[in-house]
Amino acid sequence: MPALLAENVTAGYGRTPIINDISLTVEKGTVTTIIGPNGAGKSTFAKTVVGILRPTTGRIMVGDLDITRMPGHQIPRHGLVYVPQNDNVFKNLTVRENLEVGGFAAQGNTDARMEEILSVFTDLNKAREKRAGYLSGGQQNLLAIARALMVDPSVIVLDEPTAGLSPAYTDVVWNQVERIAATGTGVLVVEQNVERALKHAHFVHIFVAGSNHVHGLASEIASLDLAAIFLGRAEANRS
Amino acid sequence: MSAMWYYVFTLVFFLFDYFILAMGLNIQYGETGILNFAYIGFVAVGAYVTGATSLPNAAGTGQQYILGWGLPFPLNLLLGGLAACLLAVFVALIALRRLRTDYLAVVLISVSLVLYDVINNYVPLFNGADGLYNVPEPFASVLKLTTNSFVPFFAALTGVVALLMWWVMSRITKSPLGRTLRAIRDDDGVAATLGKGVFRYQLTSMLIGSFYAGVGGGLIIQFGGSFNPTAWLPAETFVVFAVILVGGVGNNVGLLVGALLVETLLIHLPAFLPDIPGHPGLIEYIDTIVVGVLLMVMLWFRPQGVVPERVRRSPFSLATRSSKTLDDRAIIVPTNDGESTPVIQQETANG
Ligand SMILES: Nc1ncnc2c1ncn2[C@@H]1O[C@H](COP(=O)(O)OP(=O)(O)OP(=O)(O)O)[C@@H](O)[C@H]1O
Ligand SMILES: [Mg+2]
Repeated sequence: MPALLAENVTAGYGRTPIINDISLTVEKGTVTTIIGPNGAGKSTFAKTVVGILRPTTGRIMVGDLDITRMPGHQIPRHGLVYVPQNDNVFKNLTVRENLEVGGFAAQGNTDARMEEILSVFTDLNKAREKRAGYLSGGQQNLLAIARALMVDPSVIVLDEPTAGLSPAYTDVVWNQVERIAATGTGVLVVEQNVERALKHAHFVHIFVAGSNHVHGLASEIASLDLAAIFLGRAEANRS
Repeated sequence: MSAMWYYVFTLVFFLFDYFILAMGLNIQYGETGILNFAYIGFVAVGAYVTGATSLPNAAGTGQQYILGWGLPFPLNLLLGGLAACLLAVFVALIALRRLRTDYLAVVLISVSLVLYDVINNYVPLFNGADGLYNVPEPFASVLKLTTNSFVPFFAALTGVVALLMWWVMSRITKSPLGRTLRAIRDDDGVAATLGKGVFRYQLTSMLIGSFYAGVGGGLIIQFGGSFNPTAWLPAETFVVFAVILVGGVGNNVGLLVGALLVETLLIHLPAFLPDIPGHPGLIEYIDTIVVGVLLMVMLWFRPQGVVPERVRRSPFSLATRSSKTLDDRAIIVPTNDGESTPVIQQETANG
C-alpha cells in the first residue's frame, strides 16, 4: 500500500480547475519530486493533497484512509503533514515553541520526539530559544520541516523547501529530506531545480499546465528532453 | 475623607479596571491577532447586564430595563461577563468564521455601531439614552459604607479582582493554549496545516477576552452606580487599544503600565484638572489629541511598547541542552507501523 495516493484529482480556486485529473502515488521510504514551469499547478496540487483546497473530483488516500473530504486541520493527526512554500514558521515564537506547536497533533511523548529531532537538526538545537524570525531563510525552512516531523508523519509534503537557499544549505536540506525518507516516511517534494529533483528523488512527476502526463523513475526522466516538455512541445510516454 | 483621596481612589479604580480590560483585548489582539474594534461593545454589555441583574424589578423604579433580578455581587458581575461571552459567540459565528484581519475589523466596527444604536434607541432594553442608574453599591449596606468610604473600598476590591484575573491570564498565556494562540497570530494558515482548528482557538480567545471585557464593564457600573451610552462611544475601543499598544502588546505587566500611562494619567487625571477659563470641556478634547499623538509616537519609535513581549524560554531548556551531547550514535525513529527502524544518523558536520 502506498503512503500517499492521489487518484484523478481535479482542483482549483473557484470555478476554473487549475490541475486536471492528476494521479500520483508516493511509496513508503521514497522521495517523489514534482517539477514543472512556474504556474503549472505544483503548489495547487500540494495544497489539494493536504486538504487546504477541496478537489472537485478524485480521491486522496493516506495509507488506507480516505481523506478527500476531511477538514484540513484534522489531516496531520492521520500522518500527513505539509510544509508551505513561503512564510512557513511562526516568527515570533521560539524554535522550541514552533516545534511544540508542531507536536500538537502528535500522540505520545512530544518532548522526547523534540529532543530526537533537535539532535539531528543541529543548527536548530543551537538556536532553540531564539525567535524563529531571527533564523536565516534556510534555517527557517529546516525548522518548518523539523516541525512537521513532530507528528512522526507517514507522508510529508514539502513545497520548494530549498527556494532561495545557497547551494551549501540546499545540500543540508536535501540531506535531511533523504534522511526522512530513510525512516520509512513517504516524501513528496515540489522542486524548481530540475537537476536536484532528479538527483535526490526516486520518482519524478513533471507538471505542465495542470497535468502530469510525464512521470517515471528519476533515471528515466533524466534521459528526456525536459526543455521541450516544459514548453509543452513534446509528449513522452507514460511510464 | 478629603476630596483628594476620593480622586486618588477613583484613579486607582480606573487603573485596575483598565488593566482588566487591557488583558481581555490583549488576548484577542495581542495573543491571537483578532482586531476586535467592537471591544467597547462587549464592555458595555457586561456593564448593562451586571447593572440590570442587580437592580430590582423595573416596575416602580422610573427606569425601563430587562432582567431586574436583584442579584448580589459578584453573581451579577459573573453574569455580566457571561453576557459578553454570549455576544462573542454571536459575533464569532457571523464574522470570525469567515473573515480575516482587516475585513473582520471592519465588520466589528459595524457591530459596535449597531449595538450602540440599538441600546441607545431601544429604551425597553437598558433605558435608552438615559442608561441605568441607582445601581446598588456592592456590600455598602452590609459594611455600612458611606458614599466616601465606598470609593476606596471598591477600588481595593477591583484591585483584588484584577490580581486574580491577572493570575488566571498569565496561566493561560503560558499554557499550550497561549502558545497556540500566538502561533495563530503569527500565521493562521500554517497553524491550520499543523492540525489546529483555527476557528475553535479564535473563538476560545474571543470568549476569554469578552469575559474580561464584561467583568471590566460590570465593575464600572458597580463603581459609579450608573452607565449610559456616553460612557461607551464606539471610539472608546481605541483607548483600550492605546493602553495595550503603549504598554506592550503580549505582555501582561506592560498592560498595567499602559493602563497607568494612558487611562489613569491621560484620560482620567485631566478630568480633575480645573477647566481652562472660557473653554469648558476643552481639556477633554486636548486629551483625545494627546492620546492620538502618543499612539503615533509609540508606533513610530517603540512599536513593541514600553514593556515588550518576552520570548518565552523554557525553564528546562538549559538542562536538556547540556544533557544532549553531540555523539554520533544512531537514533531510533519509530515509524507509523510501530516498528522501529534505526535510520537517522547523528549529524556531525554543520547542519
Ligand atoms: N490563491 C489563488 N487564487 C487564484 N488563483 C491562484 C491562486 N494561487 C495560484 N493560483 C493560480 O493557479 C495557477 C497555478 O499556481 P501554482 O501556485 O499552483 O503554480 P506552481 O506550479 O506552484 O508555480 P511556482 O513554480 O511559481 O510555485 C497559476 O495560474 C496561479 O495564478
Ligand atoms: Mg509553487
